[in-house]
Amino acid sequence: MKKTNRGGSRFLIGLMFLFLYLPIFLLIIFSFNAGDSSAVWRGFSLHWYSELFGNRLIMESLYMTLLVSLLATVISTAAGTFAAIGLYSLSRRKRDALLVINDIPMMNADIVTGVSLCLFFVAFFQGWGAFAKWINGMQSAFELPTRLTLGFGTLLLAHIAFNIPYVILNVAPRLRQMDRNLVDAAQDLGCTWMQAFWRVILPEIKPGIVSGALIAFTMSVDDFVISYFTAGSSTSTLSMAIYGMTKRRITPEINAVSTLLFLTVLTLLVIVNVREARQERRSASMEPRKLTWMEHLAVRTSGPRWKWVKRGAGAAMACCFVAVVMFLTGATSSRPVVNVCSLGEYIDTDLITQFEEETGIRVNYQTVESNETLYSLLKSGGADYDVVVTSDYMIAKFIEEDMLETLDYGNIPNFELMDERFTNLYFDPENQYTVPYTWGTLGIIYNTSMVEEEITSWSALYDDKYAGNVLLINNSRDALAEALFYLGYSANTTDASEIREAFALIADANRRGVFQGKVSDEVFQKMEGGNAAIATYYAGDYLTMAENNEDLAYVVPEEGSNWFVDAMCVLKDAPHKLEAEMWINFIASTEANLANMDYIWYASPNREALEEYPAYYEELYGEELDQETYEIMAAPPEVLERCEVYENLPPETLQLYSQLWVELGT
Amino acid sequence: MEKERGRIMSKKLISLADCCMAFDGELVLDHINLYFNDSEFLTLLGPSGCGKTTTLRIIGGFLTPTSGEVLFDGVRINDIPPNLRQVNTVFQRYALFPHLNVFENVAFGLRVPKTETVGGRKRKVKISEEEIRQRVLEMLEVVSLKGFESRRITELSGGQQQRVAIARALVNRPKVLLLDEPLGALDLRLRKDMQSELKRIQQQLGITFIYVTHDQEEALAMSDTIVVMDGGRIQQIGTPEDIYNEPKNAFVADFIGESNILDGVMHEDFVVEFFNRKFKCLDKGFAPMEPVDVVIRPEDVDIVPPEKGQLKGTVTSVTFKGVHYDTIVDFKGFKWLIQTTDYHPEGETIGIILNPDDIHIMHKSQYSGMFGDYSSYSEEYDELEDVSLLEEDGEDEE
Repeated sequence: MKKTNRGGSRFLIGLMFLFLYLPIFLLIIFSFNAGDSSAVWRGFSLHWYSELFGNRLIMESLYMTLLVSLLATVISTAAGTFAAIGLYSLSRRKRDALLVINDIPMMNADIVTGVSLCLFFVAFFQGWGAFAKWINGMQSAFELPTRLTLGFGTLLLAHIAFNIPYVILNVAPRLRQMDRNLVDAAQDLGCTWMQAFWRVILPEIKPGIVSGALIAFTMSVDDFVISYFTAGSSTSTLSMAIYGMTKRRITPEINAVSTLLFLTVLTLLVIVNVREARQERRSASMEPRKLTWMEHLAVRTSGPRWKWVKRGAGAAMACCFVAVVMFLTGATSSRPVVNVCSLGEYIDTDLITQFEEETGIRVNYQTVESNETLYSLLKSGGADYDVVVTSDYMIAKFIEEDMLETLDYGNIPNFELMDERFTNLYFDPENQYTVPYTWGTLGIIYNTSMVEEEITSWSALYDDKYAGNVLLINNSRDALAEALFYLGYSANTTDASEIREAFALIADANRRGVFQGKVSDEVFQKMEGGNAAIATYYAGDYLTMAENNEDLAYVVPEEGSNWFVDAMCVLKDAPHKLEAEMWINFIASTEANLANMDYIWYASPNREALEEYPAYYEELYGEELDQETYEIMAAPPEVLERCEVYENLPPETLQLYSQLWVELGT
Repeated sequence: MEKERGRIMSKKLISLADCCMAFDGELVLDHINLYFNDSEFLTLLGPSGCGKTTTLRIIGGFLTPTSGEVLFDGVRINDIPPNLRQVNTVFQRYALFPHLNVFENVAFGLRVPKTETVGGRKRKVKISEEEIRQRVLEMLEVVSLKGFESRRITELSGGQQQRVAIARALVNRPKVLLLDEPLGALDLRLRKDMQSELKRIQQQLGITFIYVTHDQEEALAMSDTIVVMDGGRIQQIGTPEDIYNEPKNAFVADFIGESNILDGVMHEDFVVEFFNRKFKCLDKGFAPMEPVDVVIRPEDVDIVPPEKGQLKGTVTSVTFKGVHYDTIVDFKGFKWLIQTTDYHPEGETIGIILNPDDIHIMHKSQYSGMFGDYSSYSEEYDELEDVSLLEEDGEDEE
């Protein structure tokens, strides 16, 4: 009886650890995958690691992470240590109450901490703006900046704030163990309080301070949620960069960087735990402990002759720290700058480096995961971008709400290179605000090994034949547009009965179990891994999937579909308008468009680039570009003819959309 | 009763003038007036919570009195921090620095850079390494710890740690050394050795020791002057002999040694009545027929056959104590403790004789009636021991 029980609990424990660690092992294994799929193993390679170090977005966010973590660790360790000492000079009841209060932020949900800090900063900035204007109006001797935004400073403050409790938590037990008479004794022997602190308290609580600092550093490196809310638009940490990347498509670079992050945090935690275990063992056994190598060194080097050597070493270390901090800040500041925000994984990052080399302007390139996120980010006032890349219907909304600056096309001569099919579109009929970035179609992706027939119609999405194998796109606009096209209506209809009819079609198919689920980015893994037969997504993304699964096919259904244009625009009151226009002009060039088209597989709006791409491809890869592939990327006129651009819908229609989408459930 | 005490060369080094100390509105020191002579071994003696440690911490500079003045050589030092006072402390449980070895612990005070104002200019004074070495070794020799320099604190026994603590305090050549129950954590044997050791060190260096203890034997053995405290007040100041032979009230009589305390009436000078009998005594200056407390030390009583005694009583218990027997005798319901080298079995009727110099008369006080009855004799002994162990833990947590 007992034996079987033990076997059972062992099995459960084994299962638990499997569940905890298997995903991490998978991640580590796939970071060495030669192919770029997250589902198919193509052999061992360090390719993604070398790619990682060449990826400037990741490296820049890595610098940012290290800089913030280092500074936050140093400052919060100092502040937390003194706070803990202060707590210990209070009466026991007050101290215990304060220690409980100290614990709360650690147990609090990160999201609550993040949102509240964000609110606090934004509220402060508003108050500051009014104050600065008032001061500036009063005198002319100096001018205070009136417009503060979230950024490095707020990120650092937030990290310091959430790190301090961890430092206190680690230092407090050491103080509790310390004989309180020690400080009295030191003062009695002639020390001022500060001297007593350096000579007695510090050596006594040093182990607690070190583990507090290590934990603080780990927490800082590790943090995503709080950083996400406090870093603003122009700063991003490593975890934020990873998050931005996952939204477009998951590349094994993420696996590689996640592996490195995991190993870093693991190492730090192992160090902390080993230290603690060693201290416990030491205090448990009363016998004299062995000297650590540090203490050996300290004993050897005690005495006046070594004093200057030690001071020199200390000064050298301090200089190193300052140098590292300066190097890290230098890597992320000064020089003219342009703040660009785009959708994740939507540029050949070599172009950024190239632009910087040519112009000396630093590009602060940030990503968001969707058009809607960008909108809410801008509306919350937490962003200070110059250039944004977003989709047609969102641009219409921006213009309607007067959020964009008109462009000086004299600074953008490359605008002339744009194919007129992609200019003067409905969202910017006079073309005052935008320069097109990419375009493409929405279509059906299907697995030919699972689907016998050739799909030509949206009907396949609602067909019982493929029950359980269809992926519904998790985006009300696209999902309803597909049904509207199928029913022969316009995707921009505002007729509620037409929309409800389209919805009924989806809801009915859903009831019949046709859909495997609603997906956005999981579509890559599902389709590449052959876990679903049919999905709808964008042409450029299909090409990425097809690289990993040759059985996949793409079609723009005969009933017609959506085609879209993403364009670059400059936000109202952008602080670096000239730099922004230089950047737009650079990206609009034929060379940049070719590089981008090759990198992201989305069609270029640049006439020359579009024409030259097959030749460019052949030169680059030494093989001819498949005509079919090219036509999927850049849909030919006869396909575009049956496609429709999304227009910005009126609010009541949008409300109906979201209401119906909620009704559909998950 | 208080006499100008001390020795010929004595001069007032530290004075507490009308000092009060209150924690959370509770008066811990109640108008203390006290002075400490140069080169004196003075003990603050009293039970737990009597205010003796608080007094010591005020002198050390760790506490500032709520009211009153602390004078050092006639200069007010209320607001001088501990690091600037010419006073050093040996702490309870030693408070040695665990991260330093013996040598560095002792050298600690010498290594702290001090600023000194010379001719209006502040400058840092540092003691040369050679001098530090010399002074530390010298002091380790004084406390008989030569050869222990490089030991770690955790490798030392309690007695050795005690010596390090003393050396660490003395190496700074303070004018006054404060000792806060320094022997409390040692076992009895070691405590006795350290008592004479401390006395020797004090005489060798010729500086003032202010010693806090709850152990009356320790106080009697070492002190030049004893200050008995209770309830935040000074009960009596005097030499050990004064305190023992002429306790001022029932509290002192009971706290210092063993005493039988009886209600009596002073008829006239040198005549006191108790147990309905008049006795001759050596005390005078009381009002006629004044009610008084009569103290009779247990070892002063002479036992005689019942028919020869001034008083007659029955032995109710006998305990062998080594040198003597603790004999409890019932006199008309009031039980006395009598220490005698002769054995008188339980139940025996005995007589006693009191000589005039065996009788000590005290004015009535708030303590009258609280002490001196040995009806519940054995428990009282135990209680005292227990209290002494718990001592001061409460006082630390101000």
